[in-house]
Amino acid sequence: MSLKTGKSVMYKRISYIAMVLLFCTKLIFAQDLRFTAAVSSTQVATGEQFEVSFAVNGSGDRFTPPDFNGFQVLSGPNVSNSMTSINGNTTVSNAYSYILVAVKEGTITIGSASMVVNGRRLVTNPIKMTVLKGQPVQRNQNNSPQNAQDNSIADESPADLSKSLFLRAVADQTNVYQGQQVLLTYRLYTRVGIVDSRLDKLPDLTGFWSQDVKDNQQQAQWRVETYKGQKYNVADVRQSILFAEHSGNITIAPFEMTFIARVAAPSNDIMDQFFGSSYKDVKYNTKSPPLVIHVKPLPQNGKPAGFTGAVGNFTMTADPDKTELRANESLSYQVKVTGSGNIKLLKDLTVNFPPDFEKYDPKITDTITETAKGVSGTRLYSFLVIPRHQGDYTIDPLQFSYFNPVTGKYVVLAGKSFKIKVNKGTAESNVTAFSASGKEDVKILDKDIRYIKTGDADLSRTGYSFYRSIWYLLMFFAGPVACIAAFIYRNRERRNNSDVVKVKSRKAGKVASRHLAIAEKQLGNRNEFYEAIFKGLYGYLSDKLNISVAELNRESIGENLTARNIDPQLISQLLTTLDTCEMARYSPVTSMSEQEVLQQSKNIINRIEDEI
Amino acid sequence: MLPVLALGSAQPDSLFKKANEQYAKARYREAMGYYRSIVKGGQHSAPVYFNMGNASYKLGDLPSALLYYEKALQLAPNDEDIKANIRLANSKIRDQIEEVPEFFMSRWWTSVYMSYPADTIAVISLLFSFSGSLFLIIYFFAYRTAIKKTSFFISLSCYALGLFSMFILSRQASYFEQQYGIVFNSPVYVKSEPAEGSKSLMLIHEGLKVKILEVGQNWVKVRLANGNEGWIKVVDLKGI
Repeated sequence: MSLKTGKSVMYKRISYIAMVLLFCTKLIFAQDLRFTAAVSSTQVATGEQFEVSFAVNGSGDRFTPPDFNGFQVLSGPNVSNSMTSINGNTTVSNAYSYILVAVKEGTITIGSASMVVNGRRLVTNPIKMTVLKGQPVQRNQNNSPQNAQDNSIADESPADLSKSLFLRAVADQTNVYQGQQVLLTYRLYTRVGIVDSRLDKLPDLTGFWSQDVKDNQQQAQWRVETYKGQKYNVADVRQSILFAEHSGNITIAPFEMTFIARVAAPSNDIMDQFFGSSYKDVKYNTKSPPLVIHVKPLPQNGKPAGFTGAVGNFTMTADPDKTELRANESLSYQVKVTGSGNIKLLKDLTVNFPPDFEKYDPKITDTITETAKGVSGTRLYSFLVIPRHQGDYTIDPLQFSYFNPVTGKYVVLAGKSFKIKVNKGTAESNVTAFSASGKEDVKILDKDIRYIKTGDADLSRTGYSFYRSIWYLLMFFAGPVACIAAFIYRNRERRNNSDVVKVKSRKAGKVASRHLAIAEKQLGNRNEFYEAIFKGLYGYLSDKLNISVAELNRESIGENLTARNIDPQLISQLLTTLDTCEMARYSPVTSMSEQEVLQQSKNIINRIEDEI
Repeated sequence: MLPVLALGSAQPDSLFKKANEQYAKARYREAMGYYRSIVKGGQHSAPVYFNMGNASYKLGDLPSALLYYEKALQLAPNDEDIKANIRLANSKIRDQIEEVPEFFMSRWWTSVYMSYPADTIAVISLLFSFSGSLFLIIYFFAYRTAIKKTSFFISLSCYALGLFSMFILSRQASYFEQQYGIVFNSPVYVKSEPAEGSKSLMLIHEGLKVKILEVGQNWVKVRLANGNEGWIKVVDLKGI
């Protein structure tokens, strides 16, 4: 000990002595000091409450309560002070009382309490308690009194509170599937006494659907646990069951609490050191470190068609309440899903009832318990259906699938199919909601675009359109142009045909040759032959020279042919032939044979044709 | 995209078939690639645009779907499937605009001149022109009065019908010459003037079909189906 502290201790001691001397003069003589302990009853049953009070008729300090081993402190110390002054006589009394409850049966002694009054250390007498068997009281595993921490742990005054008082969020598993349940526990670790605590902030469990575990005990249960090589008093502040709503790494935000911790305060006071440790109440705020849960998505392969997101372990039953009924009577179809997992998150089941059944939304009844082992229970879907027409119907088997995170596989449960016999209803006519014809509108379930065209692509060049092309105009006018051409052609034809003379002259040769052909056939028939020749030549000349047959004679033929510059020799030859024909018709003697006449006629006609 | 590169030189008809196969397997993006390569190759048709519209719709790209449907409708103005899909796609866009009700006569008239694609009408008018000319020529050369009379009247009516179909064709052509556009951004403010600071008259969203009245440097004047007009930016619009 250094000189300086020795000195200060010296001064303190002197002041104490002086104080004691000053008070002694009056008080010692005024009254004798008593420090007593009293119980409301010395015989109690376990679970029964009783009061212990320590009273002193004076003002004391450094009250140290006894070890209430075998009892649980419900409240206390409740301090009451009273001061009365009668005729200058001042009486001060203090009382410390505790409400206790007995935990252990047997004879238990409440130890002595101590107190320093006027410099004197007073102790109370120990009290013997007889505890009988009564209601059981919950106890901790290590048999330490409830709600009272093991003092041996708190003895040592910690240098840093964060090492001796902290919170942790603990999950029973941190690697889970989406929808798998996780038990999250907020745990308090302490090595110091806690006077008071307050919950500041509960994390909002974003990304999870959470369900608090209901604890039927009000008090936190303490137990001793070793964490990182240190022994701690541990209590579970709160427990929740979480169901991850999506995959990925989800962080659980810190959980915050404020404590008033009782820590042993090191004191320089020699008396404090001598008489025992002193305590200091410290306000301390702490939060749990964030916790990351790794959530795996549910595997895609093997996912059943009707999977609705159930994760856990379930069983299912599905039953109708009857299999034979009348039309318009109601039928209840109950589906019971039992097991542990996200049972509250199950989506509606779809049961394929026959389309003629009128169906209503199912009534859902949950009987679910949340314990530290997880969420488990039963969900009952009660479908009400009303068959409207008689007949034999089948309710398809219900399929319920879930994912078992333990095996990592999907499980499909299938119910049975039920045959429902619907008899003719009694009051069929009462159902007016259904039209008499029994026809209903076609139900439109959903709308979607019409399917793509799969036939011929029917492609054309982009930007090309036939109706804009020059070909379209050309073709459109081709018809009228053809018409105009046809019109012109016809008119010319007509004009040619209307000129009779020209036509006759053009056709004269043909007519003549026809006559000559007839004559050729008449070879031998003298009269007919010459007549044909004569007619042929005359006709030919009449047509060719545009002279009517009546006006035609030797002279006119000669003149006309001469006027047209016909060879005079040819003219005379023609006239000779004509004369021959004329003469031959009336006289039997001829200068030329029939053959020669025919040949000559042909020659003449050919030559005239050539020249005109 | 891979299929486009790989099949750049493939036959358009087989491309169409491949695209449809991809569509049937719900690989809309791949199908779209094939359809696009057909159009890039300078070929088009109503089925191609229609299927492109469907693929865009399935990919959730409503404005593109509407754009392709409208393109398909130009090539096949009376196709019931295209009209149905346009109706459905229009019901999914943000803006629901009450169209100005059309007079029943004009509605009927529109349905008349939209009854066939332009090229089909062109061919029909050609057939009328040819047969009219044929009967006229018969009239020119026939001798019997009965034939002459009949052919003359048939020819006249053929020419009349030919001219009528040409008229219808011109109506349809002028209908499609009116420029329409699909809004491709959301939201788009319709301004009172072609300037950024001017008053905002309306707020429209992607997928809306508007009529283009005037095209400026950066702004186009548009008219909505309900008759309201205003200016929007060129970049917010794609012409059909």
